[in-house]
Amino acid sequence: MIVVLFYIAAVIALAATVAALTRTNATHALIYLIVSLLAVAVMFFLMGAPFAAALEVVIYAGAIMVLFVFVIMMLNLGAAGEARERQWLAGRSWFVPGSMAALLLLEMLLVLGDAHGVTSGTAVSPKVVGMTLFGPYLLAVEIASMLLLSGLVGAYHLGRRFIVRRGDH
Amino acid sequence: MSASDFLAIAPLLVLAAGATAVMLQIAFMRSVPVTAILSMVALLLAALSCVSAAAITPLQVGALLSADQFSLLFTALFCVAGAVTCGLSLDYIRHHGDEPEEYFLLIVLATLGAGVLAYANHLASLLLGLELLSVSLYALIAYPNRSLLPLEAASKYLVLSGAASATLLFGFALLYAGTGTLAFAELGEKLGQAEMGTGLLMAGSAMIFAGLAFKLSLVPFHLWTPDVYDGAPAPISGFLASVGKAAVFVALLRLFLEADLFRYYKLVQLTGLTAILSMLAGNLLALLQTNIKRMLAYSSIAHLGYLLMVFMICLDTGSRALAVEAAMFYLIAYTATTIAAFGLLTLINESQVEREQVQLQQVSGLFWRQPLLAGLMLVALLSLAGIPLTAGFIGKFYLFTAAVSGGNWVLLAALILGSAIGIYYYLRVVFYMTRGADEHKHTVTLSPGWSGSALSCLLIASILVLGIVPQTLMAYLRSIL
Repeated sequence: MIVVLFYIAAVIALAATVAALTRTNATHALIYLIVSLLAVAVMFFLMGAPFAAALEVVIYAGAIMVLFVFVIMMLNLGAAGEARERQWLAGRSWFVPGSMAALLLLEMLLVLGDAHGVTSGTAVSPKVVGMTLFGPYLLAVEIASMLLLSGLVGAYHLGRRFIVRRGDH
Repeated sequence: MSASDFLAIAPLLVLAAGATAVMLQIAFMRSVPVTAILSMVALLLAALSCVSAAAITPLQVGALLSADQFSLLFTALFCVAGAVTCGLSLDYIRHHGDEPEEYFLLIVLATLGAGVLAYANHLASLLLGLELLSVSLYALIAYPNRSLLPLEAASKYLVLSGAASATLLFGFALLYAGTGTLAFAELGEKLGQAEMGTGLLMAGSAMIFAGLAFKLSLVPFHLWTPDVYDGAPAPISGFLASVGKAAVFVALLRLFLEADLFRYYKLVQLTGLTAILSMLAGNLLALLQTNIKRMLAYSSIAHLGYLLMVFMICLDTGSRALAVEAAMFYLIAYTATTIAAFGLLTLINESQVEREQVQLQQVSGLFWRQPLLAGLMLVALLSLAGIPLTAGFIGKFYLFTAAVSGGNWVLLAALILGSAIGIYYYLRVVFYMTRGADEHKHTVTLSPGWSGSALSCLLIASILVLGIVPQTLMAYLRSIL
């Protein structure tokens, strides 16, 4: 039964990704991308990795939501914008991703009941993840922190060129 | 972790501490000379700490890193190469970017990534090292912020490199699904007895090879190379072509040796095919260039092709040791030579802000104007072409011997053909340099500072010493295998 749920989530993930790639409207594509990430999160959960599932939702779906907000910000709002928004809310455009997300929610609710049902046989708790990460893989965490430093410094320097300060041209 | 663990990874710790110190120094007080000196001191200290770490090797540190003579040798090489790059960039970057301090910080971080790659014997550390190296390089390529060309180069590298990393990760996932482990040695044990079909495992290994081949810019994954090398600042092109590639090659070699991917005969044949294509396509395309940077970019494709022959030769277990020895020598020679060749371009472009001068005509008559710089270029080009008395000759001769002992005649034919084409376009640059200066109007005014001259002498000396008295290094390489 749990395997069936897993494959349903997998099909949703694939379908949503294909839809995200083929939409011509950027906002619609983003919505499908979020559904795809949620489906992957459900797959992680069904495989017995609730921590990875939570991270997937918080980091990926959360970050994509922020991206979504930026898209809205960059669109020209006004009368035309409102008309466009009304058009977005009309039927078809939200029905498919909405029902996909509802299906995923339903799966989650079904599985939340029985804690033992995982496809891989063993569930990995957040505690185990932390113990492994800061035990044998401590050096990986340290190297990753250097990676973040490098990304931060690079982004700072590249972002600077777009900032016009007083005194500059 | 015990004290000996810390000593074994001391070079990486010194680099990380150095990066932190440089970052804090930039945060509190901006000063280009102080940052440059601090970075170079950190890099050279890291190289020195390899010597003290060598006493307690081999040692497995945690699950991720393996400290042995092999990793220490290459970490030391990358640190020295990073320090030389810092020294060469000192005057260059002052003219090319405002706030040039972070440039040196990024070089230290990139070298740390290269060091992690040399140490990695676990797929997780392989990926982290690779990403640390690549992310630092994206920013370094786009560093000069007064022109658009570097930005274009960095965007191309970022997008294609991201795709390569995704391919690599997919390969890791397939191997993990089949074996349940990410450590190289365990992978080697379990690949033989995996329940999953070997087809899928081989596909995983092939995807890993494809991802790393992109970073090594082997044909057919080479399309980004000329544009990125052309757009990037000259010292960074040199760093990317030498350390950036050598580190990835070292990691790939270790993966193949420890996980024994030579069991997949078709995969190894694929590397042989890639090697032949890279040697021929790289050299033929280099022939068509009049821009020296693009020419060196194509020639670096060809050189990685020569190196990749090693995997085919390793199939014959009898000549495996010789092949690995040849690869190590070639990597060291190639790193010194490439940094020297791009170093010249750095030194003649120090004060060119708009667009770098790299056309063939622009070096015409260089011998009469700047004998030292022309000498550096001459030695570097002769070494790349594989002319005797230079490091490149010994490296190529080594590969040749290994290929003969492995009986890989097709590869050998491609090596000879590629080298023959190579001599033509390398010597064309020398020909331009010996022309009379008055024949051309495009004269570049040059005045390398004392640091540029000193580094030129150092690079010339190291290439010649490796070419004339290679016995010490050869004996050392043989002893650590």
